[in-house]
Amino acid sequence: MTTRVATVLSEPTAAQAHWDALARKARIQRRTGLALLYGFLILVSLPVMVPYFWLGTLAFSARLEDVNTDVLWPSIFILVPAVMLTWVWSIFARTRRQAFVGWGVIWFIAVAVFAVVLGPSLHLDNFRFMHNPNFNTENDTIVAAEDNPGFSVTAFPWVWTAFANSLIIAGGATIIVVIIASLAGYYISRFQYRFRTSSLAAMLILHAFPATVLLIPIFILMWQLGLLNSLLGIMLVIVGLELPLAVFIMKGFFDAVPWEIEMSALTDGATRRQAFFKVVLPQTVSGMIAVSVFVFIRGWEEFVFVLVLSTKQAKWTMSLYTFFVTEENNLGIDFGLVSAVALFYILPSFVLYALAQKYLMQMTISGVKG
Amino acid sequence: MATLGEESRAREDALRRMERRRRFNMAFFLGPAFLVVGLFFVVPVVVDIVISFSDLGRDLRITEYSTDNYERALGVGDTRRDRQLPGVIVRTVIYVGGTLLIFNTTFGLILALTTTALPTGSGGFFRAVWLLPRMSPSVVYAILWIWTIHGGDTSLVNQILTEVFGASEAIDLRQLHPMWVIIIANGFIGASFAMIILTSAVRSIPDHLFHAARCDGAGPLSLIRHITLPQLRWPLTYIVIWQTLSLMTSFEYILLITGGGPFRATTVYAIFIFQRAFSASGQYAYGAALTFFLIVPGVALALILWRLSNMRKLMQQPRIEVQ
Repeated sequence: MTTRVATVLSEPTAAQAHWDALARKARIQRRTGLALLYGFLILVSLPVMVPYFWLGTLAFSARLEDVNTDVLWPSIFILVPAVMLTWVWSIFARTRRQAFVGWGVIWFIAVAVFAVVLGPSLHLDNFRFMHNPNFNTENDTIVAAEDNPGFSVTAFPWVWTAFANSLIIAGGATIIVVIIASLAGYYISRFQYRFRTSSLAAMLILHAFPATVLLIPIFILMWQLGLLNSLLGIMLVIVGLELPLAVFIMKGFFDAVPWEIEMSALTDGATRRQAFFKVVLPQTVSGMIAVSVFVFIRGWEEFVFVLVLSTKQAKWTMSLYTFFVTEENNLGIDFGLVSAVALFYILPSFVLYALAQKYLMQMTISGVKG
Repeated sequence: MATLGEESRAREDALRRMERRRRFNMAFFLGPAFLVVGLFFVVPVVVDIVISFSDLGRDLRITEYSTDNYERALGVGDTRRDRQLPGVIVRTVIYVGGTLLIFNTTFGLILALTTTALPTGSGGFFRAVWLLPRMSPSVVYAILWIWTIHGGDTSLVNQILTEVFGASEAIDLRQLHPMWVIIIANGFIGASFAMIILTSAVRSIPDHLFHAARCDGAGPLSLIRHITLPQLRWPLTYIVIWQTLSLMTSFEYILLITGGGPFRATTVYAIFIFQRAFSASGQYAYGAALTFFLIVPGVALALILWRLSNMRKLMQQPRIEVQ
């Protein structure tokens, strides 16, 4: 059978040639289309990629009063050909093994060139803020700049204080939101009560309704409650802002749990609450992870409410810390330090996001997965 | 042996116990969520309206209630009117409309269509790149913007202009085109919202529609025009409403990148409220009145969203209690 097909195919007829030409044309069209798409996307993505890349190179290389793209352009000239070669190789490699060997060679050469060309200019000095709490007042350039009118050197809190504050706010808000949203999401998903549809709608509307509008009343409210300048106050605000969406998402995850699981628990004599805690809740762990990640990232990055609700340095979060480090070094004095702080601040968000992407993709927002 | 009366009494007791348990469950499951929502959405709206009729200022003391703040904002009565407000409103319209049209819908749609046309891995890579601005803390994002466009020789833009295009002078985009700066800075973040939602919407279109259209001789553009776009109508409406709301009210990036300047060129409504209330003047009451004018369209748009979304479709019928 196979041989007959092969012989038929090997005898080109007029029609056959026509088909081949068509196939070739289609292939060329497809490839040009793809190349155009890639070209377009690379071009529009450059303005996003280059600054982040720059931040990374600055943090590990900038010295005081250096021209500060010394490392950026060379490393782009090394990285871009390496990425291109990797891509080209993945088209031409015939087996998986070949592909891996080729990539290994390409990246080994790239790293070697990088080490030889740029190795000497890399250093970790910009990360001194992590082990020296007084880095700012000891900074000669800034102290020298103090003669300028309107310029003062602030004794910053240690970065780990700000780090701990951010961690407490983001972590605390995450725990509270996950607990409350799981309870409410389950009730809306599974129980019959009078305002069921409208309570879900209320969550959607409240999420769309932006809380930054309510900055002034929330400020007054927090002042009345005596929660200004406290981590608890900011934590509660973040809980309030993120709860509606979290309820919505948890409801979606509970919807996906089969009713039979719960029914069999009830048949075995569990109460609704027991069924929830022991049987249904463990089924929605991925939902809780997704909610945790986005609430944590949100709490980690909060700036406006922290700025308004807290003024004491001991209550600074990473956002305020980074902000004031930048303010103080904004005259182009120490790009390296600012980038190192920014990189230190940005990293937890990115790592969390990368780790949890699988779970985040399962979230359902108003019928559209997002 | 139980009499008939005892039996019915027992049944009533059981019913009452059930009712009590139902109420307890409701308070247990829904109570905390409603408490938080009340504290952070309902109470603040009420507080805002009360404050807006007062003269609450820096000293945080209310001496009298009046409609002065509203008269000042609307320019009626004998209170001196706020001369800055008309300009602020014009700038807000330009900013919201521009960002929405260029980035939050059009560019987000382009990103969704192009990344879904690529193989899954590469498409995912570009989507991840466009999520970077959304994932990074606002302070860091603003630093990157400032370093990229500031007026000195060392900014990224000026280096490229002098090295690649041979420009002789450094330019300061924040002075030259402040409005474009805030539109693009917010647009880079806004585009990813549409990108994510539209990507999943495009993916959920059944393949056979595309196959059928291709058999009928449709090219890539007419596929987009006649198959994809009609399927994206609801997600697009949703994006437009949602993003209008958040653009009208968010000011974090503007505050960090341009601070509303130069010479108020980027002072849009939300940042105007922030400046009036939290800058040196501390006019909380006037800020609250200005906020009220944002709450009204906010509630209106949110209600439209509610009308448009089919909530009933999102609810499954409960199968344990039946009514």
